[in-house]
Amino acid sequence: MSRLIINELTKKYYNKIALRNVSLNFEQGKIYGLLGPNGSGKTTLMKVVAGLHKQTSGHVLINDQDLSYKTKTYVSYMPTENYLYPSFKVVDILKFYKDMYKDFRYEYALDLLNSINVKLDYKISNLSSGETAKLKTVIALSRDADIYLLDEPLNGVDVLARDTIMDIITKSYGENKIIIISTHLVSEIEKLLDTVVFLKEGAVELFCDAEELRQERQMSVEGIYKEVFGND
Amino acid sequence: MISLIKYEFIRKYKLASMILITMLALNLFLLTKGAGGSMSFLVVSLLALFVFYLADIIKMYSDDLNKKTGYMLFMTPNSGYKIISSKLLTAVIEGFALLLVYFIFILINGTYIIISTGNEIDYSQIIKAVDNLLSGSLGFNLGHVLVFLLAALAFLIAFITTVYTAMTIRKSIFSEIKFGGLFSFIIFLLINWLLSFLSSKFYDIITPYYNTVDTISGTGRVSAGGLAMILLPMIAVLIIQAVALTGISGYLLEKKINL
Amino acid sequence: MEFNNNIPIYLQVMERIKQDIVSGKLKPGEKMPSSRDYSYELGINFNTVARVYKELENEKILFTKRGLGTFITESKEQIEDLRYAMAKNLIATFVEGMEQLGYSKKDMIKFIEIQYNNIERIE
Repeated sequence: MSRLIINELTKKYYNKIALRNVSLNFEQGKIYGLLGPNGSGKTTLMKVVAGLHKQTSGHVLINDQDLSYKTKTYVSYMPTENYLYPSFKVVDILKFYKDMYKDFRYEYALDLLNSINVKLDYKISNLSSGETAKLKTVIALSRDADIYLLDEPLNGVDVLARDTIMDIITKSYGENKIIIISTHLVSEIEKLLDTVVFLKEGAVELFCDAEELRQERQMSVEGIYKEVFGND
Repeated sequence: MISLIKYEFIRKYKLASMILITMLALNLFLLTKGAGGSMSFLVVSLLALFVFYLADIIKMYSDDLNKKTGYMLFMTPNSGYKIISSKLLTAVIEGFALLLVYFIFILINGTYIIISTGNEIDYSQIIKAVDNLLSGSLGFNLGHVLVFLLAALAFLIAFITTVYTAMTIRKSIFSEIKFGGLFSFIIFLLINWLLSFLSSKFYDIITPYYNTVDTISGTGRVSAGGLAMILLPMIAVLIIQAVALTGISGYLLEKKINL
Repeated sequence: MEFNNNIPIYLQVMERIKQDIVSGKLKPGEKMPSSRDYSYELGINFNTVARVYKELENEKILFTKRGLGTFITESKEQIEDLRYAMAKNLIATFVEGMEQLGYSKKDMIKFIEIQYNNIERIE
């Protein structure tokens, strides 16, 4: 049973507040869209859940456990930055994941990489931004984790690669998994989402079922997003 | 832990092999200049290896704390204690490996120097020298060497943990402050000042008791055991220091880190 | 399938399945893809498809055989009812639109009589 509960989470930096009293309850079997412009706190929220940043106050419970290195077992985080060792080949990255994570499905990753035409002997530093984005998504989703955090998976990626990435995400859906996708490219991804979370200046502006939202407001999630955040 | 150490070395083997190849090329070049070249190589390479080692062990940790590639390591379900310990072990193993490399260079160049100065390599002389060393007729023996090595190792470990702790503190408690490198260095100096203050207090306490211990043997020489006794408080302090600092680093990585 | 994000996606998928049944593209008794496969095929959320199947089951247009999957109703009557309901919906929209343009019932019928053969059919 996968569960992620965020309770009154606040993250302050020296000169700004990145998260203000965020409380969210994520259920398994759903894909969540974490939506907001740059600087709204999406990345910070993910980094706290992934255990890379420490919160200033509040609690995060993953499968009923407080955050620690142990909860990293349940969380597969895909940072938006290119975090892969540049001197490694694709195959070395796969081996690293296999050695580090018990839940890494090596064969599954091989199949996916094969289907998107990323070769194992490519060097990370020579990959195009689209190839890097696809590889990062494949790696994150090849872990058989409970919670997936994908930070801006479509950022800086051409239209074809976007489709591929969304295909990989739909393929990886599971009824006992929580998938959280952060993005500011709402129109591309909204049909994948069950629930949307709007983050505005670090606070939760909206937490709602996507279909209900369309029904009530007779508008796309993107339309509502533009209403809330303007056209940026 | 073994996996962590394994990948530390996989990540640096390319750079390390490049350095070794460069050294080898330089050595071959200097060999053509005769024995003097060989001698100067031994001096230069010792310095180069030492600088490389120092830079590399600092970079190994600093990159993971400050660059995005550090996520690779810090996302893995390993505790902060495990991560810092594996870094430390990697640094120690790397130190030994480089020492071994330098030793091999000494052997090669030493042989060359002897040959090029027209002398035959007299193995019986070498064996005799070693024998002298072992029997202690030179005033010290392998025991002394071992004690020195142990002290050096303790010093090295304490040094590395101090450096790493300084970087961890800056990346956790002071993660917002700019000029991170400089700031880490200031923290490093502060830790050193604090540690020397604490250890001097410790020495003050034990000195009266310690002075009563007789370490000079009848011959007027310090035996290996005696040397060990003399260095024991220092080694103990260094080890306690290393353990405490590793604990602090591990705790901070676990509880306070902002990558 | 292209979606209009302004309308709930499950409604659009339901509509499309209904149309395919009435037009004969989907045959009575035919097996539907699993929710998982269908969501992958359409590139939409799994739960959206699950909801579509559930709603269509409630409307007796689909039915589930335990362990075998989801199937289209075999009842001709059910499909006729569906066709009737969809036609009724269309005509309601049509009438409302025409009335807004100022057509009376008589004019509408006349308009259809005249225009029926000239209208360009959208494929």
